[in-house]
Amino acid sequence: MTTNDQGAHTMELALETGALGKRYGRAWALRDCSLHLPAGRVAALVGPNGAGKTTLLHLAVGLLRPDAGQVRVFGRDPRDDTSVLAEIGFVAQDTPLYRDFTAVDLIRMGGKLNRRWDAPLARDRLASLGIPPDRPVGRLSGGQRAQVALALALAKRPRLLLLDEPIASLDPLARREFMQALMGAVAESGTTVLLSSHLLADLERACDYLIVLQTARVQLVGAVDDLLAQHRTLVGPRSTDTGTPRGVVSVVRARHTDRQSTLLVRRDDDAVIDPAWIEHDVTLEDLVLAYLAEADTRATRTAWEVTA
Amino acid sequence: MIEFVLDGRSRVATYMQLVVQVKQALRVGLLRPGDRLPRVREVAQTLAINPNTVLKAYRELELEGLAEGRPGVGTFVVETLAAPSLAGHAELREGLVAWLRRARAAGLGHEDIAALIDTTMRAGQDPSLPQDVS
Amino acid sequence: MIWLTWRQHRKQALFTLIALAVVAAVMVPTGLAMHHRYERSGLAACLADLGDAQMIRQSEAAVHCQALSHQFQQQYSDLAFVAILFVILPVFVGLFFGAPLVAREVEQGTHRLVWTQSVSRRRWALTKFGLVGGVTVVLAVLYAVGVSWWFGPLVTASSGRMGYLSFDVQGVAPVGYTLFAVALGVFAGTLWRKVLPAMGAALVGFAAVRLTVETLARPRYMSPKTLTFSPQSVLRPNPATGDWVYGQGVRDAAGHLVASGAQIGPCAPPGCGGVAAGSYNWQLYQPGSRFWEFQAIETGIFLALTVLLVALAIRRLRDIA
Repeated sequence: MTTNDQGAHTMELALETGALGKRYGRAWALRDCSLHLPAGRVAALVGPNGAGKTTLLHLAVGLLRPDAGQVRVFGRDPRDDTSVLAEIGFVAQDTPLYRDFTAVDLIRMGGKLNRRWDAPLARDRLASLGIPPDRPVGRLSGGQRAQVALALALAKRPRLLLLDEPIASLDPLARREFMQALMGAVAESGTTVLLSSHLLADLERACDYLIVLQTARVQLVGAVDDLLAQHRTLVGPRSTDTGTPRGVVSVVRARHTDRQSTLLVRRDDDAVIDPAWIEHDVTLEDLVLAYLAEADTRATRTAWEVTA
Repeated sequence: MIEFVLDGRSRVATYMQLVVQVKQALRVGLLRPGDRLPRVREVAQTLAINPNTVLKAYRELELEGLAEGRPGVGTFVVETLAAPSLAGHAELREGLVAWLRRARAAGLGHEDIAALIDTTMRAGQDPSLPQDVS
Repeated sequence: MIWLTWRQHRKQALFTLIALAVVAAVMVPTGLAMHHRYERSGLAACLADLGDAQMIRQSEAAVHCQALSHQFQQQYSDLAFVAILFVILPVFVGLFFGAPLVAREVEQGTHRLVWTQSVSRRRWALTKFGLVGGVTVVLAVLYAVGVSWWFGPLVTASSGRMGYLSFDVQGVAPVGYTLFAVALGVFAGTLWRKVLPAMGAALVGFAAVRLTVETLARPRYMSPKTLTFSPQSVLRPNPATGDWVYGQGVRDAAGHLVASGAQIGPCAPPGCGGVAAGSYNWQLYQPGSRFWEFQAIETGIFLALTVLLVALAIRRLRDIA
């Protein structure tokens, strides 16, 4: 068991970006992205379609060259460095595989293209899932193809596993089976995982780290436990006061009825919140939705050139 | 050996759900000292949850002195929560059944009874006694 | 990488072998028959007798030889059409070997699978391009040797191997064309990133470049020679030299062209009726003996284009994600 402890994880960084940016033509697909992902975490990369999730993953695996800033995987630039590539297992969106290859062919291919390659691991995984070894993968179900792609990525014995929307196109049963296989593999290998999704629900129990992207920018990043501890929903009488309540660092999102105000706030760790407000814990979903909605409003405001 | 289940709609943290289930199993005698808890990998895989969550639950049990991790072997139950005599359960139960009958006769509904028990328990809570997180 | 390339392209290899077998099944019997007929009719011997002198005496034998040539050409005129097929064969290699090489990967997204293993993109490209290029060279050499042998008698009996069509399917030029077609297909694949558009672009590009080179560049590789001879002369241009004649005609004493595309004579002194004194026959041509120089220049151009396209394709690969 090499899984890192929640509290005392080593601060080795699996992924680190600094002011990272990527542009397609004049539009930025990712901008000012600075984040770090400690080793041993299972991180969810959440955001709506087009938020820049795929761009970030492609930059991390060296498929794309940054237009600004830098990206480091275990401290090294993944671009054109095959020794870094050897540390990364990557499953691209829609799990592309050579459709006329059989699973056995694909495992053999991995052996030819990687110095470190655990073919028995891949074979055992696929055998235990009942995936036929000699059928072209193009004729397998979507769920089976995703499992083949995961087995191939794991056979590299990667220290960082990047998965781009691995379950988006799967039916609920296949989704669960995929997450089960993934969590089993994480428990076994202790590999760091970053998986993107536009739906949080499927990942909520699997992840202990969260990165929220929206409109090409990072909105929220951190360990799930810390984020939940730092945020509160406050309910109180409608306040015309624009300032933040005592004990609150910032208001993420505020909603008002004519009598009542509901605030999702980031609290001050050392201060007590003004007792005029009733505190509630937040769920991960509340948190993500609040940040996404807020970023959305801001983007719309900018587009209409309205100042807040 | 026990098998964990998760309540998808519960707002209780996942690791706490695991802790509670172990404790319940200890209370009813399903788990006894010396029993091995399911391996982290198995739990993570069957429930499709982060292995760190399972570790956290097991560490919580260790902190409470109920379980003990043996490196390379697994986590084992070392303490029991079963009341001194499980046999005593039957007697208490009988008394409770009689009380419930009286409560119904007094016109209390299901929810009234639950509320009464709840408030009574809360009022009688003594901070000096060890608290039960469940 | 080598195994992967083989595994990915083994179907194409199989189809190519089948196509080769079909072509061979047609070419070998017809070629043997043609060679047999060429020898038996005495055409081979009489053409050899004409030698390689620029001018020969108009003799009974020469006339007979030309008659035999005509007869031979008549008999196999249908097969000359096959030569057109051979002219377009290289572009097929480009379409089916070159265009899908990168385009299919990107179209199906598998480049994200193969480029994220522990092999650099450059090594992937060089191995694939190298192997496909190597197979292409073997195929093209087989093709060039085969067609040169098969087409030989017909070419010698007609206008010679410098002419359009015959020049394009013999010697080493087909190797250059084929490699160029493959490189063009690969490059088009890096631009359009879908198989069908890449194929279309490669087809159009190939036709455009080939036609441009053939019609505009090739006649200028070396400055043509001029041949003049008097209508009274009994010496005529030797039909067996295989010269590529750009133009011919009759010029008057001042050098003006008085009749285009025609030659006069030989006529007995004092002169030919109706033609001014001092007129002479004129011909602008590339000697057939320059065949290999022309082949080398043409092949060189296409090989240079190939290298350029491969370099551009590798550059473009860096920006595909």
